[in-house]
Amino acid sequence: MTKILLKNNLQANHSSIAISSLSWFQALAPEIQELIAEAISPYLGELEEIRLRVNRPLLLRVGTREVFISSAGKITVEAENGVRISKENLQRTLQILSQNSLYAWEEELRNGYLTIPGGHRIGLVGRAVIEKGHLKTLTDISGINYRIGRQILGCADQVLPSLIKGEGRVYDTLIISPPQCGKTTLLRDLVRQLSNGIPALNFPGVNVGLVDERSEVAGMYRGEPQFQVGMRTDVLDACPKAAGMMMLIRSMSPQVLVTDELGKSEDVEAMYQALQAGVAVITTVHGNGVEELKERPNLQALLNWHFFDRIIILSRRKGVGTLEKILDGKSFARMSEHG
Amino acid sequence: MAKILGALCILLGCTYGGVKISLFYKKRTELFRFLQNGLAMLETEINYTFTPLPLAFEKVGRQSNRICQTLFLQAARVLRSNKSATAGEAWQEGIAALSAEVPLTREECEVLALFGQGLGKTAKEEQLKNIELTRRQLYTVQKNAEEEQAKKQKMWQYLGFCLGAFLVLLLI
Repeated sequence: MTKILLKNNLQANHSSIAISSLSWFQALAPEIQELIAEAISPYLGELEEIRLRVNRPLLLRVGTREVFISSAGKITVEAENGVRISKENLQRTLQILSQNSLYAWEEELRNGYLTIPGGHRIGLVGRAVIEKGHLKTLTDISGINYRIGRQILGCADQVLPSLIKGEGRVYDTLIISPPQCGKTTLLRDLVRQLSNGIPALNFPGVNVGLVDERSEVAGMYRGEPQFQVGMRTDVLDACPKAAGMMMLIRSMSPQVLVTDELGKSEDVEAMYQALQAGVAVITTVHGNGVEELKERPNLQALLNWHFFDRIIILSRRKGVGTLEKILDGKSFARMSEHG
Repeated sequence: MAKILGALCILLGCTYGGVKISLFYKKRTELFRFLQNGLAMLETEINYTFTPLPLAFEKVGRQSNRICQTLFLQAARVLRSNKSATAGEAWQEGIAALSAEVPLTREECEVLALFGQGLGKTAKEEQLKNIELTRRQLYTVQKNAEEEQAKKQKMWQYLGFCLGAFLVLLLI
């Protein structure tokens, strides 16, 4: 039964890459590496998350499916057969992730995630230590989530013709998408292509300023982008968006300013100023569509200003990164329909 | 003639042996002094640049005096080659490599081993406190080693010469 279910839902993708050479794999505790290596090797192309939670089964998300690993190192869909993660497993994992140096990742622990070589993000939860009303650090780590970052070169190809104004200019664009629908992957490819130039569209490369607050778009690790973000891209890494946008405009004079996941009211305020500075802006927000965004107090202003020229809506309807539609930002009229 | 030459050889050999032993005391004093410097460098790496331990040990090792280089470089080597080794285990291997080069007492090894136990497991402030505490302990150890050196360095040098002279007299 298990086998039939798996065959229907997981597509094996026998890749030639050895699992042991992958940076996220090397950042796992040896006992977990050993456990999952054989089972997960055929599905590397679709692996999205590895979740380790204390005293609960090791859980892998492959495409849209969640699977467990049995003690024999085989994939199973039954949670009770899945190997459980012990506190020692988590401690060993954290020790490897931190390179035996928790002090070196205090800021990352405060933010609840760290980036490893390859640009993969590792989310952490535990007990918060509060000092003078502020989160000082996380201790007693009880859950670790490996989010496998992926670069899909060319995934922005279908939206780019709608975003280019001509003569090296780009429309102000807002990408609306629920979590895990490929919003960051799309943004990353947009940045790369706008920065490098697109000969097919007769678009010369432009200077792109990227405020990468959560180190997710460029996947910076110790000052080096782990993903291709283009030759004319300046990355302001781990900087709060509100402060970073104006800082980048002043310091690097970009033609296109890019940020990910607007949410706080100060981000929206800073975006307003950036839009007025005459720089083209591309940004993203979490959401299911224009109507939903109009209901949210912090974000409704983004639409009410009518500053954006283009609105891209993504979903997971036909898999990660389904392009639902592209709207005109002024009239909200549908420019194209996909999916 | 041969007798004189033989006597000279015995005298020089024993004196050399005495000097060699006496130099160990000097080496130990220097080791504890340079270890304190090494820990000060490690403190800078942790406090200002948040350098992870494998790299921090390597940097400190390269800048350190040859005597205490062994400790830091061996610990760095272990951390790099075996990712599942804890910082404490790597440090312990460093101590083992060090004590093969310089004789250390059990107490001195304990001071160093205790430092290794908390390495890398806590936040910055606790790491810095641990370094400060160990530096103070090493200062005391250094003072004791200096006293020992003052007492025993000359003694071994004389003892070597005297032993040589005694053997020469005995054989003549």
